[in-house]
Amino acid sequence: MIRTPLRPLARILPARARGENTDSIENENIRARHAEMQDRARQRAESRLLVMGVVFLCAYMTVGVRMGMLATSDASEPVASVGAATAIANQRADIVDRHGRILATNFETHSLYSNPQLLIDPERAAAELVAIFPDLDHEQLLRKFTGKLKFTWIKKKISPEQKQAVHDIGDPGLLFGPREMRLYPNGTLAAHILGGASFGKEDVDAAEVIGVAGVERQFDGYLRDPAHGNAPLTLSLDLTVQAAAERVLSGGMRIMNAKGAASILMDVYTGEILSAVSLPTFDPNNRPPAPKKNEEASESPLFNRTVLGVYELGSTFKIFTAAQAIDLGLVNAETIVDTSPPMRVGGRTIGEFRNKNYGKLSVSDLIVQSSNRGTGRLALQIGVQRHKAFLEALGMFDPTPFEVVEAQLGQPLYPKRWTDLSSVTISYGHGLSTTPMHLAAGYAAIANGGHYVSPTILKKDTPQLGPRVMSPGAAHAARRMLRAVVTSGTASMADVPGYAVGGKTGTADKPDKLRGGYYEDKVISTFAALFPAHDPRYVLIVTLDEPSENSGSQPRRTAGWTAAPIASEMIGRVAPLLGLRPSVEPARLPAITLTANN
Amino acid sequence: MSYLEYSVKYTPTGLRKVLYLNWPLILLLIAVASIGFLMLYSVAGGSFSPWAEPQMKRFAMGLVLMLVVAMVPIWFWRNMAAVAYLGSIVLLLAVEFFGAVGMGAQRWIDLGFMRLQPSEVTKITMVMLLAAYYDWLPARNTSKPQWLLVPLLIVLLPTFLVLRQPDLGTAILLVAAGGGVIFLAGVHWAYFVTVITAGIGLLVAVFQSRGTAWQMLKDYQYRRIDTFLDPSTDPLGAGYHITQSKIALGSGGWTGRGFMQGTQSRLNFLPEKHTDFIFTTLAEEFGFIGAFSLLGLYALIIVFCVTTAMATRDRFSSLMTMGVAVTFFLFFAVNMSMVMGLAPVVGVPLPMVSYGGSAMLVLMIAFGLVQSAHIHRPR
Repeated sequence: MIRTPLRPLARILPARARGENTDSIENENIRARHAEMQDRARQRAESRLLVMGVVFLCAYMTVGVRMGMLATSDASEPVASVGAATAIANQRADIVDRHGRILATNFETHSLYSNPQLLIDPERAAAELVAIFPDLDHEQLLRKFTGKLKFTWIKKKISPEQKQAVHDIGDPGLLFGPREMRLYPNGTLAAHILGGASFGKEDVDAAEVIGVAGVERQFDGYLRDPAHGNAPLTLSLDLTVQAAAERVLSGGMRIMNAKGAASILMDVYTGEILSAVSLPTFDPNNRPPAPKKNEEASESPLFNRTVLGVYELGSTFKIFTAAQAIDLGLVNAETIVDTSPPMRVGGRTIGEFRNKNYGKLSVSDLIVQSSNRGTGRLALQIGVQRHKAFLEALGMFDPTPFEVVEAQLGQPLYPKRWTDLSSVTISYGHGLSTTPMHLAAGYAAIANGGHYVSPTILKKDTPQLGPRVMSPGAAHAARRMLRAVVTSGTASMADVPGYAVGGKTGTADKPDKLRGGYYEDKVISTFAALFPAHDPRYVLIVTLDEPSENSGSQPRRTAGWTAAPIASEMIGRVAPLLGLRPSVEPARLPAITLTANN
Repeated sequence: MSYLEYSVKYTPTGLRKVLYLNWPLILLLIAVASIGFLMLYSVAGGSFSPWAEPQMKRFAMGLVLMLVVAMVPIWFWRNMAAVAYLGSIVLLLAVEFFGAVGMGAQRWIDLGFMRLQPSEVTKITMVMLLAAYYDWLPARNTSKPQWLLVPLLIVLLPTFLVLRQPDLGTAILLVAAGGGVIFLAGVHWAYFVTVITAGIGLLVAVFQSRGTAWQMLKDYQYRRIDTFLDPSTDPLGAGYHITQSKIALGSGGWTGRGFMQGTQSRLNFLPEKHTDFIFTTLAEEFGFIGAFSLLGLYALIIVFCVTTAMATRDRFSSLMTMGVAVTFFLFFAVNMSMVMGLAPVVGVPLPMVSYGGSAMLVLMIAFGLVQSAHIHRPR
């Protein structure tokens, strides 16, 4: 580096010659050198500053651009791909009605358990838990929390609000596990059909949901099978119809002072059950405990009367006898039958309701008047073997193939030794106990022109007509008799304006299980209807357990007074929902009068 | 050779110094701190306790400290640099032996009225000593290797002590700030190329060492790097911070949800919502506009520091001012990058906004030094 001297002789000498102080020259040069160095350092510093500035700017731009990107991004919660939460999701398929409306679905909730060793403040945790769940026992909880346990359940199912409350306690020893539970959004609606579900094998991360009753149990395998890709199980039920039926029946049950009731609405061609009601009912979301050993199962709300209630259904059976007699060509609808007493069969006297004597009646009229002796005589003509075979063909001797698990237990009761007397009593509905579901299937055969159809809870798109059990002519004749019962017989209260209803009443005394024999004042009253009567599409069965209509001077219990009006109300509500157009009779036009308007 | 021997005839004296303060800088600092109060108020669910009120008190204390530091001539601070540096090293050693353990790391000394984090103090004293060193060092010696040993020691000694605490974030900040000052002092660029190359080599070595007996970082540090590289692998575990803050930023959108309307931060989705991750609250409640405004305020603070550095004539003042600016810049750049998923989560607060005593007081003292340089610059 070439240095300029601080005291250049070229300047010093002349200055010295002039007698000036030469130090000032040196000082001046020192300052100049400083300035030069300073400038160089400054230049370098400035270039470095520039580089730094570029770095800052780049960082700024990166942060700014990133900020913009995030601001425009969708704020979506990532879902953990691992863990049990997703593994148990939708482990059970939904159940829907025939129009795809949800009857049963799944609901994510949580279980609450604890590792007492992780609890920070067991006493506070126990106190706060009891405040959230008043049903917990403080002492017991505290004992568990302060013991040596490493795991203890606190609650199997908790709501989101409760979960938040427990979360807010903030104790790390209180832990949650995912739970999937079955939810029935319609509450008590169709409770007996759906049945219910509960937890099977349980652990912290998941619990198995298993069906315990009804369709849930019957189709448990199907609902749990992941191979169906969570396709819902479609039932034949119509949610709206079911709701209307439940409403009418529960109102009717109250008015008639009955302790139980059941109704079945069945499509006579497909066998689909559009609604099936059993009262009293329950909420499948919160299934009541099963009846204990010493309790009467039929008293529990869990008891499904439609498929388990094995009753003598009384005079509703008379139509089968008449239909078979016509089918066999023994009689026709106009054949006169003597119904006058006495009539003794197998050592027993056959009587009539209130000991009436109807005299000579046509077959049609003996159905309309509901004569026991008349149908009994028809049965004797038919003969034991043929009578038995006919009822068997109608499915009266076996549990119905209805796909609700309880239906398998609905075994009809019929005499082991079938005598002439058996045939006679059974011809008018005594001595053979069946469920309302059996009766519905029997009436469906009359309604659809003579084919047996098995009732089903699954949606069908095509008719499911089974083997022929009677000729179309016999079925047609039977339908006309049923219509006559409503228009001029015991079921006049079943008439519905706009809809032609045919049907048969049946009132049977309830058997007294303690003392044997029958109660005087306890009946099962049933009305079996088909509509529209000229070309029936639906069968409706309404059964009341121990009804008593008290508006008159003495209680009236017969089906004509109790079950029939309920059936009428139900058909009036349900028929429009099923798309049946009411046939309004054209009002008679007034005679034309040519008077002036004065 | 120092350039501080300029004529002090024109520097203001006594209370007149107040007039010569860099007032815009003070206003900017108050503005940024106010954003901090607002956010702490919001995060606490609309309450001054437990965070906003102490923060305001500390800021007031910091303002007073800044003014006191600013009144003292800058050459006094230059002469004190070595003492201050040694003092902070002693404090770091004290943490090593007497420190309280907080959040799994030993970082604080409990002074009774506040918890002092010596690592924060070191950030400033290190910059001061480096600036004083280059002020003293003749310019022609700047790039000579033997004269580089001292600044390297100045930077690496506290870095080593901080790493032992362990506090990776502060260690990175110390190295970066020290490197920045050395770079600005004019050391030959070839050194930096070498160091950066070596650094990348070290990084590779660190990853290679994972799982072996001579593993260089703690497991949690590896996990943080892993989840930084791909947060979606563990959104509920180690990647939780980043994923949640990204959601918060995304849900803020352009204009935000409005003051006190943020859900992500209010509903306790975010840990450390009042300290390291407070930026997410801002971004969620005031959106891109609010967040970018804060970035703008920070940029203005840097710009004012740079103009001060340019206006001063001596090396100490300009280097120290720039050092403060670099430290400040690193603070918010690293914090924002971390929150936005551009950098691993290393635990660096958002300067002047995050809740925390040491960092704020130290920054205010640092700005006091900048003010002092501004007041006592030659005119």
